[in-house]
Amino acid sequence: MDLLLYGLDLLVFIGIFGILAISLNLEFGFSGLANFGKVAFFLIGAYTYALLSQIGLPFYLCLISGALVAAIFGLLISLPALRLRADYLAIVVLAFGEILRLIVKSEAWLAGGDWGLSVSPAISITGVSPRVDLLVNIALVFSCLLICFVVAQLLSNSPYGRVIRAIREDEVAAEALGKNRARYKVQIFMLGSAMAGVAGGLYAQYLQAIVPMLFLPIITFTIWIMVLVGGPANNWGVLVGAALVEVFERGANIAKDYIALPIDPSNLQYILFGVLILLVLFYRPQGLFKEIPIKTRALEAVRHAREQIKGEGG
Amino acid sequence: MPEEELLKIEELSKHFGGVYAVSGVSLDVRKGGIWGLVGPNGSGKSTLFNTILGLYRPDGGCIYFNGRKINNLSSHQIYGLGIVNSFQVPRLFFQMSVMDNMLVAARGHQGDGLFNSLFLRGGWQSQERELIDRALEFIELVELGKMVFALAGELSGGQRKLLELARGLMAKPRLLLLDEPAAGVNPVVGKKIFQKLQTLSKNGTTFFVVEHRLEILFNFASWVYVMDRGKMVTQGQPEKIVDDPAFYQAYLGAE
Ligand SMILES: Nc1ncnc2c1ncn2[C@@H]1O[C@H](COP(=O)(O)OP(=O)(O)OP(=O)(O)O)[C@@H](O)[C@H]1O
Ligand SMILES: [Mg+2]
Repeated sequence: MDLLLYGLDLLVFIGIFGILAISLNLEFGFSGLANFGKVAFFLIGAYTYALLSQIGLPFYLCLISGALVAAIFGLLISLPALRLRADYLAIVVLAFGEILRLIVKSEAWLAGGDWGLSVSPAISITGVSPRVDLLVNIALVFSCLLICFVVAQLLSNSPYGRVIRAIREDEVAAEALGKNRARYKVQIFMLGSAMAGVAGGLYAQYLQAIVPMLFLPIITFTIWIMVLVGGPANNWGVLVGAALVEVFERGANIAKDYIALPIDPSNLQYILFGVLILLVLFYRPQGLFKEIPIKTRALEAVRHAREQIKGEGG
Repeated sequence: MPEEELLKIEELSKHFGGVYAVSGVSLDVRKGGIWGLVGPNGSGKSTLFNTILGLYRPDGGCIYFNGRKINNLSSHQIYGLGIVNSFQVPRLFFQMSVMDNMLVAARGHQGDGLFNSLFLRGGWQSQERELIDRALEFIELVELGKMVFALAGELSGGQRKLLELARGLMAKPRLLLLDEPAAGVNPVVGKKIFQKLQTLSKNGTTFFVVEHRLEILFNFASWVYVMDRGKMVTQGQPEKIVDDPAFYQAYLGAE
C-alpha cells in the first residue's frame, strides 16, 4: 500500500487524538480532574454521530449533537462524582465508561450491539481517489482541532484559566478565595466531554463503521499517556504527545504490513508505550514540555516593563 | 457611641472525635481596628478561624456576620460576604507565580467567568491591569518585589507567609483573619506589616489576628481574646490583659 496513504491516515488519527488530548488536558492538566472515563464521552460522540447520520442529518449537526450529548452526560456524571474525593471520582468515571460500552454492546436494538453501526461519510465525493477522501477528512479533523485548541488556549490564558489552575493547586484555598469550585469543575467537565464528543463523531465519520470494541478502556489510557508525556497544562505539549503516541501506534500497524517481527506488533506497541512512560517518568516527570505560565495582555505588559527596568539597572 | 458589630460568635463548638478543639466560645468583633486572639499551642485558635471560614461545620453555636447567620454557608459564599483568611500554614498555589496567586484573590474579576474569559477578552483586560497595579503595591509591601513572576513554590518559608498575607489583603476583605502573619518573618518586616495593618484598619478592613509574638500584637491590638484548651478564658485591652491572672494561667498552665 501507498506510504503516503499511511501518512495521511496517521494525520487523521493525530488530529482526532489531539482533540482528546486537549480535552483531557483541560480537565486534568489545568483543573486537576482525573477523568479516567475519557473513552465514554468519545463513545457517546461516536454513537450519537452514527445514529443521527443514519436518519439523514447533515454531518455538522451530527457533530454538534455528539458534543452536546456528551456534555450532558458530562454534567450528569460530574454532579454527583465531583462531590467525591479525587480517587473515587477516577473510579466512578472509569466504571461509567465500561458500563456504557457494555450497554451499547448488549442492547442490539439501540446501537447494533456487537455489529455496531455503519456511518456515511460527511462529504461524499463520488469516484475520487482515497487520497482526496483522506484530505477532506484531514481538513475536517484539523478544523475541529483548531477550534478546540484555540478555545483551550484562550481559556488557559485568562482569569478563568487562573482560577482552574488554582483549584488544581489547592481547591480549599481557592474556595476560601471565593471560587465556587463545584461550578468550575462541572463547567470544565462539560467542556472536556463536549470536545471528546466531537472527537468521537469525527472518528465514526472517518471509520464509517463503529463497534463497541473500538471503545475499550485502553483508549482512555492512551489519551492519558499523551497528556503525561507531552506535559500537563501545556496545550502544545499534549499535541506533541498525541502525535508521538499515534506515530508509535499507527507505526506498529504499518510495521505489521511490511516486516515480519517475532512478536505481534500490537503487543510491541504496548511494550513501547511502557518504555515511553518509564523514560518520561525517569527523565522528565513533568512531561516533555513544562507548564506555560498564564499570559494575558496586561500581565505581559508588566512583565515586559519589569524586564526593561532590570536590563537598564544591570 | 457603640461601634458597629461585625462578627458575633455565640457558644461555638467544634470537636474532632474526642478532642474539644473549640468549646462554647463566644466573642464579638466590632468594625475597625486590630483584634487579637492569643493562647498556647493547641488552644483552638486555628480551629476557630477555620470554622468561621466555613471550612469546618460547627458542632454547636452560631456565627453571625453583619447580623447574618453564616454557619451553613460554604466558604466561597463567606468570602463573598467579606471574610478572608490568611492560613497559618500557607496554602498557596505553588505552581503559579506570585502575581497569579495575588490575582486569584481579587474580588469580582470579570474574566473569572467561562463566557467572559472567552468572548469578552477586551472587557477584562483593563480591569486586569488595575488589579495588577494593586497587587504590585501589596507585593512591594511584603518585600516580594523581586519575586513577582517567580513561582510561589520557589519562595522561602517566611516569604510564603508574606505572600499568604498579601493575598488576603488583595481580596479587599471586610474582616481579615490572620493566623500568625509574622511567624517566620524577620521582626523588622513583621513590625512594618503591623503598621500597615493599622493604616488599613482605618479604611474599612477589620483585622482579627492570632499572633504568638505578643510584644508586637499588644502594641497594635485594641482588644485581645485569650483562649486555652478550647475555651475563651479572658479578654480585654492589651494593657489590662497583661495584669490578668487568667492570661498567665493560660500560658503557664494550671498551678
Ligand atoms: N483537623 C483536625 N483533626 C483533628 N484534630 C484537630 C484538627 N485540627 C486541630 N485539631 C486539634 O484541635 C486542637 C486545637 O488545634 P488548633 O490548631 O486549633 O490550635 P491552635 O490554637 O491554632 O494552636 P497553634 O498555636 O499551635 O497553632 C488541638 O488539640 C489539635 O490537635
Ligand atoms: Mg494554629
